[in-house]
This record gives sequence, structure tokens and C-alpha cells, in this order.
Amino acid sequence: MEHHHRSDTLDRRSMMRLVGSASGIGYAANMNQINAFAQDALNDQLRASGKRVILLWLAGGASQLETWDPKPGRPTGGPFAQIQTSIPGIGISELMPKMSTRLGETAIIRSLNTKIADHGTAYELMDKGRVNEAGVDFPHLGAILARELGNIESKVPDYVSMYTSTEGRRKGSAGFLGGRYNPMFLTDAMMPENIQRLEAITDTDHRDRAELLDQLSKIYARHHSHPSFEGHHSAYGRVRGLMASDYLFDIERESETVRNQYGPTQFGQQCLVARRLVEAGVPFVKVARAWWDSHGQNFETHQELCADLDHCMSTLLDDLKDRGLLESTLVISLGEFGRTPSINGSLGRDHFASAWSCTLSGCGIQGGTVHGKTDQDGNTVVEGEMNAGDLYATIFAALGIDHTKEYMLGSRPIPIADFDSTPCYPILT
Amino acid sequence: MLFHRIADSARYASKLFFMNGMALLSILTQGEIRAESASRDDLIRLAEQIDREIEASVEHHLMAPVLSDAAYLRRVTLDLAGRIPSVSELKRYEALDTQDKKYETTKQLIESPDFAYHQRNELDTLLLRALTNDRNWREYLLETTRNNTPWDVMFRQIMTPEISLPEDTRPTAFLKHRLRDLDKLANDSSVIWFGVNIGCAKCHDHPLVDDWRQEHYYGIASFFKRTYQTKKGMIGERFDGHLRFDTTEGETKDAAFMYLTGLSIPEPQLDLEEATLKEYQEKIKKAEQEDSADTPPQPSFQPRSELVKLALGDETQNFFAKNIVNRIWARLFGRGIVHPLDQIHSGNPASHPELLNLLTAEFIKKQYDLRSLIHAITLSNTYARSLPTNDGSKDNQTPVESDPQDHEEFEEAESKFGHAVPRPLSPHQLSLSLLIATDHPEKLKEKIETNWEQSRGQLEERSEHLAQKTEIPGENFQTPVSEALWFSNSGEMQNQYLSTDSNHLVGYLKEIESDSEVISNAFAAILGRPPIQEERDTLSQYLSSRSGDRTETIQQIAWVLLCSPEFRFNH
Repeated sequence: MEHHHRSDTLDRRSMMRLVGSASGIGYAANMNQINAFAQDALNDQLRASGKRVILLWLAGGASQLETWDPKPGRPTGGPFAQIQTSIPGIGISELMPKMSTRLGETAIIRSLNTKIADHGTAYELMDKGRVNEAGVDFPHLGAILARELGNIESKVPDYVSMYTSTEGRRKGSAGFLGGRYNPMFLTDAMMPENIQRLEAITDTDHRDRAELLDQLSKIYARHHSHPSFEGHHSAYGRVRGLMASDYLFDIERESETVRNQYGPTQFGQQCLVARRLVEAGVPFVKVARAWWDSHGQNFETHQELCADLDHCMSTLLDDLKDRGLLESTLVISLGEFGRTPSINGSLGRDHFASAWSCTLSGCGIQGGTVHGKTDQDGNTVVEGEMNAGDLYATIFAALGIDHTKEYMLGSRPIPIADFDSTPCYPILT
Repeated sequence: MLFHRIADSARYASKLFFMNGMALLSILTQGEIRAESASRDDLIRLAEQIDREIEASVEHHLMAPVLSDAAYLRRVTLDLAGRIPSVSELKRYEALDTQDKKYETTKQLIESPDFAYHQRNELDTLLLRALTNDRNWREYLLETTRNNTPWDVMFRQIMTPEISLPEDTRPTAFLKHRLRDLDKLANDSSVIWFGVNIGCAKCHDHPLVDDWRQEHYYGIASFFKRTYQTKKGMIGERFDGHLRFDTTEGETKDAAFMYLTGLSIPEPQLDLEEATLKEYQEKIKKAEQEDSADTPPQPSFQPRSELVKLALGDETQNFFAKNIVNRIWARLFGRGIVHPLDQIHSGNPASHPELLNLLTAEFIKKQYDLRSLIHAITLSNTYARSLPTNDGSKDNQTPVESDPQDHEEFEEAESKFGHAVPRPLSPHQLSLSLLIATDHPEKLKEKIETNWEQSRGQLEERSEHLAQKTEIPGENFQTPVSEALWFSNSGEMQNQYLSTDSNHLVGYLKEIESDSEVISNAFAAILGRPPIQEERDTLSQYLSSRSGDRTETIQQIAWVLLCSPEFRFNH
């Protein structure tokens, strides 16, 4: 299994990796034992650094040509122009005017080649960073980061996922990491299910009965103790804390000015909730914006959706920066794939996974950079090709997490970023 | 004879006849096939053999004591009926004064309508539930569990539905929901039916397990390569289709139709004119696309059928029988004799190889009868052992944490089945138990004693909603916080399960005057045991100290017991 241990020169990152693999061994023992309560010191240090992630999920697949990698004047270019950005020599689509002036903390990746171009499988690929393997239930990005960045005793949720009905039931799962790392979902309402107390019970009664439960559980545990019982106890122990964080989902608590900045769209409001959540210490928030799947009328669709993305993303980045949060918060914009350079008969663009784009902003990212290059029509990657595993390795590296860290599934080591993936060092600080 | 004669003839001498002039089909309807239950003496003999094997492997002082009557009944009712026992069932059991108490009670449970539902839910969880909730398929499974269809017959029906049950599209679901992904179809089949995860051997020989090479992976996958689905919802197989694979040495090989034992089946020369083959291919294509298409021709060489034959004919390693025996064991003990359950191979030896062989041989001898296997295990003392207990002197600490050597011994005893481990309730077990616990105890008693068949059906229906929301416990189960939030704050919990009306537990309890009786009754209904003194004191104090409405206080007490780990697990 040589491929588990690549030999690099001993730079700072390799040192990181060595330290990280020691912590990997700690996990190995944990995963066999399923003891979510044991923590190792090294991971605590990582957690203490307070890194956060907001994933802007562009469900259905946004067009790279109408966003980050325009091809003006080419047969594949479409009707929109390119505008100059704050990065010398780099233009993006005119549909993204606000982002064009705010690339200082953002790296654009123009060279994703992820090969899979059907929604279901591509979603799994981009949300897990690896091709599904029969018989192994890999965790999704949010669950990995909830585990790596979250605090087991945390009072706030550690993985919140907001998605709209068009994205169906693709919720993301913690896979073999276990239910502790499943996301808290927001589906149609802005408030998670069952996080608020019913009118039928007073707060005092609610608290007192929780204390009574705690008391009785402790009596029981004196006679019968087991990690499973402790896990149960700890889930109930988190209830009141999570309920107390209900205000985080309430954007009415923001000033009118701030709410107006984010705007009235659902995406905008959810971005604002995401900012409130990371500010309170939630390590991973996914905000999904649908539905980019423009097989027909690609240009009208992108005119509408890009306006929302451009506005909300730039507002979010500004707001995080103003609050001093951007340095510790990584903002990712990503979908399951891009769209074909060729324009079909319905003036649409179809699924395309061979040469597409995404962005990383903030934490650990060298802003004002562009990585990779596609050919003049955007059909192939000609420079700096990256796959899903490489993107995941980059995300982990940006957050200071060793991307070769392994979870043990029985006797099998599973690295958090797929085998043979490499971080894209030029866009990392 | 343990078997109806007609079953024998159907299973082992399937009558073959021609249909449409070309398709070979066998008659095999499930109603005819039913395993007869094993005799009391057979079952008890097997239970005693289990105990001898286990007792020989664990040091006596590490062995946990056998459960009390009430605790045993809770455990075994959850395992055989898929729900906790009612207060009346508990009282009856405790009052039973016969030597054969356990046997009589478990026999009754196994023959109850509860068992068929529970066994159906468990088999669904094993076979399909993680992927989808398919009503027709569940109905089919319920028929098999009601008829006690032998496991090998189910295997045939599910893996070759077009041959075994050509008029019934329901059992096709296992294959149908995996058809889009050959890897998943092949590996899931191997994991579920044979206990062997071959996934790691796809791109290279298994890096950690010498037994599994790439040719096994592609061998198994080959049996599924030709499978397709017709628009009408039936399953078929094409006349051609081969897998090739690249070895790590860069060589390209043709995959053989190879089973896990290494035995492969040569494919007979396809004796068809090219034009005929083309015509058949067209018909298959049509059947895939059109509702109205004729039943497509079936080839005489049918790979899935060959796989079934190889698996059932394997008398050396017995993957097929061993796997289900190991899975049933794990269901009842929280851990397999081979563990993990999908790792039956030479590098991962069984904790009790002789016991596993014995149970497997017995299972085959009893014509793959799942009921007898389950019944025998539940009669053993090994099954009835308690969790390891603390002396109660230390807060929240296992006795083993104090001394590493103790800890080792403890783990050893756990992996050797010297004591029980808590098992999380399945979604249906949890949902049904919640309904049983919060029902009005007297009204529930009447339902059980008068028309349980019908009431149990309704209960099953009512349990679906919560069951679908509840996580299927996997290897790493931790109670999800979403569940704790649902128990704490959902309207369903407050208004239905904890309802104060006269059809529910709280409505019943609030009419009881004595606080002490309220506490005893709440414990009996929810936890199936009397409270210990400390619990009684704590709850009495709570009841008497509340200034608010007494009914609300009783609601809170019922809630507390429902949210306890003791309710959430089978222990």
C-alpha cells in the first residue's frame, strides 16, 4: 500500500502531515471502539483554532461560462460579455459584477475534471470527494468537517444544511462516522424541526423534566453503564443547548440594514443565517441554491440565478470580512458539475464534468488567484487539472487539516481525501 | 420429515416447461413451501449445545448472570415480536408456573402475528430498506415470513424472480433497485447473501485479505452483468455480455462466472443463428422500453440461476448458510460469531468456529428454517445473560475502567458472549414499543386477548410514520440529536403518545390516586420492571414537589421514562 505514504520533501506541510497521522492513529482506536467521547489532544488544538466552512451549493450545476470562466467571442461563449476583475488579466462573466471587484480573498479554480455528469452520482462524488464504493458508506464533507472542526460537547449544532425542495432528498449523510455527525436540516422552514419548545409545556417544566431525565439516567448508569447509553445521554444533553441556539436561525434579530444588504431572496436570507451560525461557532453550514440545470434557456436562467449568487456571495464575503471572520471561515461555491460549452437547440447547456469551475474564499486561501486553464472554447482542461479528491485535499489543507489523515473502517484505512489526491498548493496561503 | 412433501418436490425437482416456445420456467409458488417447526427436544438440544460451546470459551467469573423473568421477557419479546411486552403479558409470564415457561412463551411469540411482521421488518432491513421503502416488496416479504418460507427458497425467489415467481413482480425489488449500478448490485448481493465484501478487490487484489482477488470480484459481477428490467417490472437476462478487467500488472483478463469458492461455470456455446440472436436482442430492447411488449425470450444459460446453484451447492465453505446464521446471531447478540458481518474470510476467524459450523449444519439440516434457528438461540442461557453490572458505588463508570487488565478481560468476555451488550431498537421496534408503552394498559390487554391479529395489523400501520423517520442503526449507532429533539419537542410526542385522554397511558395514570402506584404503573408500562428504591424516591419527590397540574407532572414522568436509554435499547 505504498500509495498511502507518499514521500515528499520535508517541508512544513509534511511536518503537518506527520503530526496529523499521529492523530489519525488516535482515531483508529476510536473508530473501532466507537467512542465518540474520547478526544485526542491534537484534534483539540485544531478545533481551538476555530475554523469554519460555508458551502454555497449550486444545485443542478452552474455554468462555468456564465460565471468564472467565460469564453467571449467564441462559438461556445454565449451572449454575455466578460468583465475585468480586480485580478490583473483575469475576467469573469458580466453576470458577476459584484464578485468581479471582490476577488481579493478568493481563488478561482477553472480546471475541475470530475468526469461524472449525471446529477445523482455527481452529487455523491462532489459531496464526498470520491467515487462511491459499493459496501462503504463514506461520510459527506459536512460530516467530516463537523467531526474535524466541531467540538463534541458543543452547544450549537455542528453541521447545518439548508436546501430547497428542488434538491429533493439529497441530504448528505454522516455515513460510517455515525448519526452524531448527521446534519441538522432546514427544508421548507427557516427554523430546524423540533428546535423550539411547544406552547403546551412551560420552559420551567421543560427544563425540570430534562433534569429529572438526567438524574434518572445517572442512577441507571451506576448499575448499567455502556458507551451506547452514554451516547444516548449525550444526545439528550445537547437538546437544551440546541434549543437555546434557535435565535441563530432568526434573522429578525439582525438590523434592517444588514437584512437589506442580504436582500429578500431565500438564498440571501439563508446566507445571513449561515453567517449567524458560523459567528456562533457552527463549523459547517451548507446553503443550497437551486436549480441551475439549464438544459433549455441557459442564458435566462443564469441571468436570474447569477444575479442572486453574485449579490449574496459578495454580501456574505463582505460581511464576514467586516466582522473579522473571513480569515477563519472558508467559503466554497461549488455544484455537482458545470455545463457544456456547446449550446444545444433549446439554447441550453447540458451536463458537463470535464472542464468546469469552483471558488474558494477566505480561510487559508491565497486570494486574487486563478488556478488552472481550459482551452479557448472551454472543452478541455489544458493546465492544472484537478479532480474531486484534489479539491477535497485543498479544502482540508486550507483549514489546516492533514488531508492524508485516515479513518479506520474495521482494519481498513480510509484517508479523508481520496487516495492519491494532492492539495492545490499555489492557491493556499 | 421436517418438510411438507410438496415443498420437497417443488424445491428439488422443479417441474420445467416451455413457455412461448423458448423460455424455460419452473413452477414454484411460495404458498406451497413451508418449513415445519422443529420439535421441542431438537430446539432445546441445540440451545444446550450453544451454551456448552460458549461456557467452554469464557472464564466462569466473567460470565454474567441470567436475566430475571421480566428482563428476559422484554428482551425476547423485542426480538421475536418486535415490540416491548405489555403489562398484562409481563404479569402472565411472571405468574406462569411451568417448567417449560421459556419454551411455551417463545413458541407462542414465534407463532404470533407479531413475529411475521417483525421478521419481515428485519429481513427488509437486511435486504432493501436502506435503499428504499417499497410497499409491494414488503407485502411479499410478509407473505414469506407468515408462511415461514425457507431461506434458500427466498434466495431463489429474490435472485431469480423471473424463473421462480414469473407472475409476481414484487420480489424483483432487490435486484431492481440496484440495477443501475453493477458494482452495487454485485457487492450488495455478496455482502447480504454470502457475508463477503468483495468491494476492495475491484481495482486490485484485496490488499488486506488474501482470499479475495480481482477475479472473485469480477466473477461475482459477471453473474449480474446480463440482468435487465422490463418496462412491465420483470427481471430478465440477456443472451450475451462479458466483463473484462485490468490487473494491476496491466494485463487485461476476461472474467469468468466465478463464485467465492473459486469454482466457475463454463458458459455453453450460444447455439443461435446470428439473425435469431439479433431478433431476440430486439425483443429484449422492446420489452425494456414498452409496456405492451411480449415477454422477452430467456436464454438457456442464466447466470444468476447458476450463481444460486453454486451458492447452494457449496458444501465446503457454506457461505450462504453461514452468513445468515451469523447475521441472525448478530441480530440477537449485537455481534456476529464472525465480526464484522461482511468479513467471512480466513483472515478474520470466527470467535467460536465450531459453534458456527454446528449452527450452520443444523440450519441446513432443518431445511434453512429461520424460525427454528431463532427459536433455539432464544432458549439458550447464553442469550439470556445480562449486561455487565456495576456495583453501584461509582458514578457513571464501568467497573473495567479502573484496571487495564480487567478491561481486557471484559472485552474478551464481551466478544465471547459472556454477557450481553445493549442493542439499539430498530426503527420499527422503537415506533411499536412507543405505541405499546403509551397505550392504555387495560385497553391494550383487551386487544391482545381478543382480536390481536387485526389490532397488530393496525399497530404496524401506525408504526410506519415514525419508523420511516428513525435512523436504521448501523455498526456505529449513536442516538441522533434529531431524535432527542423529536422526543423533546414534537407535537406528536406531546399530543399523541403523551395524550391525557382515556385511550392512553397518561390518561390511565392520572386516574390513580396514590403517587407510589402511579410510579409503579408507569415503570411497568414503559420499562417493564418495578422501580428500585432510589428511582422511586426521586420520582416521588418530583411528583410531590410540583406545584402545577398533576396530570402534567405525570406526563413529564412518562416522558422521562420514554427518553431513558433503558427504553431506547434492547438489553
